[in-house]
Amino acid sequence: MTTTPPPLTPPPFDPELAAALAVMGEMAPTTLTPETLALARAAEEAGMDGPFPLLTNEEMRRDGVFDVEERTVPGPEGAPEISLLICRPTRVQEPRPVIYHTHGGGMVLGNNRLGMEFTLDCAEEFGLVVVSVEYRRAPEHPHPAPVEDCYAGLLWTAQNAKEIGADPDRVILAGDSAGGGLAAALALMARDRRGPRPIGQLLSCPMLDDRNDTPSAHQMAGLGIWDRQANETGWSALLGEARGTADVSPYAAPARAEDLSGLPPAYIDCGSAETFRDEDVAYASRIWQAGGEAELHVWPGGFHAFDGLAPQAALSQDARAARLRWLHRLLGE
Amino acid sequence: MEELAGRLTALDPDAGAAVRVIAYFDRLVEGRAGLEALVRGAAVLSGSTARLVDHDRGVRVRVEADGRRRDVSGPARPEWPSAPLTPGGSPALWLERPGPCSVVDAMVLERATSAARLVLDRTRGRAPARAPAEDPALLETLLDSGAPQAARLHAARALGLDPSGQARALALPDGHARVQPLPVPESAGHARGGRSDGVADARPDEVALAASLLGPGLPRGGRVGVGPAVPVLDLPGSWAAARTALRFTADGTEPGPRTVYADELGTLALLADVVGPGTEPPADVRALASAIAATPWLPATLYAVVTAPSLRTAAAELNLHHSTLQDRLTHAESLLGWSVRDPHGRLRLQLALAVRRLMVGHTVLPPG
Repeated sequence: MTTTPPPLTPPPFDPELAAALAVMGEMAPTTLTPETLALARAAEEAGMDGPFPLLTNEEMRRDGVFDVEERTVPGPEGAPEISLLICRPTRVQEPRPVIYHTHGGGMVLGNNRLGMEFTLDCAEEFGLVVVSVEYRRAPEHPHPAPVEDCYAGLLWTAQNAKEIGADPDRVILAGDSAGGGLAAALALMARDRRGPRPIGQLLSCPMLDDRNDTPSAHQMAGLGIWDRQANETGWSALLGEARGTADVSPYAAPARAEDLSGLPPAYIDCGSAETFRDEDVAYASRIWQAGGEAELHVWPGGFHAFDGLAPQAALSQDARAARLRWLHRLLGE
Repeated sequence: MEELAGRLTALDPDAGAAVRVIAYFDRLVEGRAGLEALVRGAAVLSGSTARLVDHDRGVRVRVEADGRRRDVSGPARPEWPSAPLTPGGSPALWLERPGPCSVVDAMVLERATSAARLVLDRTRGRAPARAPAEDPALLETLLDSGAPQAARLHAARALGLDPSGQARALALPDGHARVQPLPVPESAGHARGGRSDGVADARPDEVALAASLLGPGLPRGGRVGVGPAVPVLDLPGSWAAARTALRFTADGTEPGPRTVYADELGTLALLADVVGPGTEPPADVRALASAIAATPWLPATLYAVVTAPSLRTAAAELNLHHSTLQDRLTHAESLLGWSVRDPHGRLRLQLALAVRRLMVGHTVLPPG
């Protein structure tokens, strides 16, 4: 996208976040290559926690606040079934709004427990149902497998909402990182296919643009979490040779969408010191330009997914509180 | 970051964890992080609530292990791992849990206090700043029974006191007050252990007690009246009782308790209502005064007799042979006109000594 050399002085990390990175060390790698992806997958399979916690069912129950079940439901046409992790608040009777959660992991890592801690914080605060989808990952399953799995799960959720105590007219799409990109893509698909009509899209540091060429992507190369190299690894896994060409679907990379009108209200946040900063800011701007509604927060000194890695930091507490306030206004309860 | 504490302990407990703790605080210092970030670092790396208190500079920061700041709290406990801001100083940073202090905890305390010292020197200079906790107007409001409850509630919060918690007032002879926050419920015997006659000596945990006080520390060895533990909004009552207790302390010219706990006075407290500096002394007190004027050893001897569990113990405390004490008491009884060795006589003597202290006229000034 840029023709002039981008400025290479990165914004400084927030001091608390920099300190947390120093302690995490290799637990929270900056980059990812096809080679280290194999190592990360092996660690996942060995049951080792990455830098972000993966909750057990027992932890997700939160001493009886939620009922937790895993359901197998139909996948996309002609594709395998998919698994949904469903957390229902036990203390409410009437159908509740539902967060449809798409996990992060750069399209290549993670499972549907990733990111559930804060998602359940939201659900507990407002008494929401959470459905977290297990989608097929790249590179074994390139685009459109991941997003179509997610869409199949969204359809099932909307069509079977009553069965899980959810209100099909109040679905909120939510995800962070690659999951934020998937949530944004679901909003586009639901609009274009005249599918379910979500009431909001909560996009935390979303991964939106396969071109991977913004000033922030260049500035943050080799720094923080999920740098430009890692981003290239993720997008190439998803799109192969097509990455960066004219032949990329907006359902793979929502930044490619030419029309951002008619979307549910968006909440977009990111850190000033992360690869995705500029594409996330641009996405919010383009929603406004298309006559849509978006709330944008750029947290100073935040690296990618900082609030998941260091939830105790002051900046993380503020970032999470802002998301809760948006949900509060969105739900209007 | 909630995983940080767990990760650190899972690492090589000596070298690996220590290196990371050092790296953590080094980054905070490099980034010119504030005090709250340093205390939060101590909390998340140790996995327990951390608090920093620097009375001289009016600093009070408390962060729980989830990273949230909650300054409202009770007093620091002596068993918590702690470190001073300057070597040899009084504790300033605590980890709010019982020891023992692990290698990681010790490193956290050391690095955090060292970083906090830098920040304090940079941001607040070395000049003492008046902190809310030392604001006499706030303390005065908190202890003023005439102040509206809303005003006392506001003062409590501004002083960092949990309005739903417990505290007690302390009265000093210059008319000044201190307030000591207490854990809820107050554990029996904590910071107490007074003598059976309702008076108490300086406590071995006086330093810990002083560190938890709102306001400047107590003058060492000075007279203190200690009010009962009460809900924070009932502190005016504790303050009134503390001032009464202060009147039962000895002024130093004669032996007697320097610290008196109001809730150990019992019925003696009633005497304070009827006896003051201008009261006509009762006959027993007049007899006591003239006996003391004639006999320099008498005050110490009589004090030992009424406070010691037996005459034998009293003799030991006075470094006297038992028979010498008996001789002295015979002489004292002739001066006083009543026996001090039978229960009734000892009671008369105790009352006379108490009234004498009340009459010596410790003028208690109003607070502030």
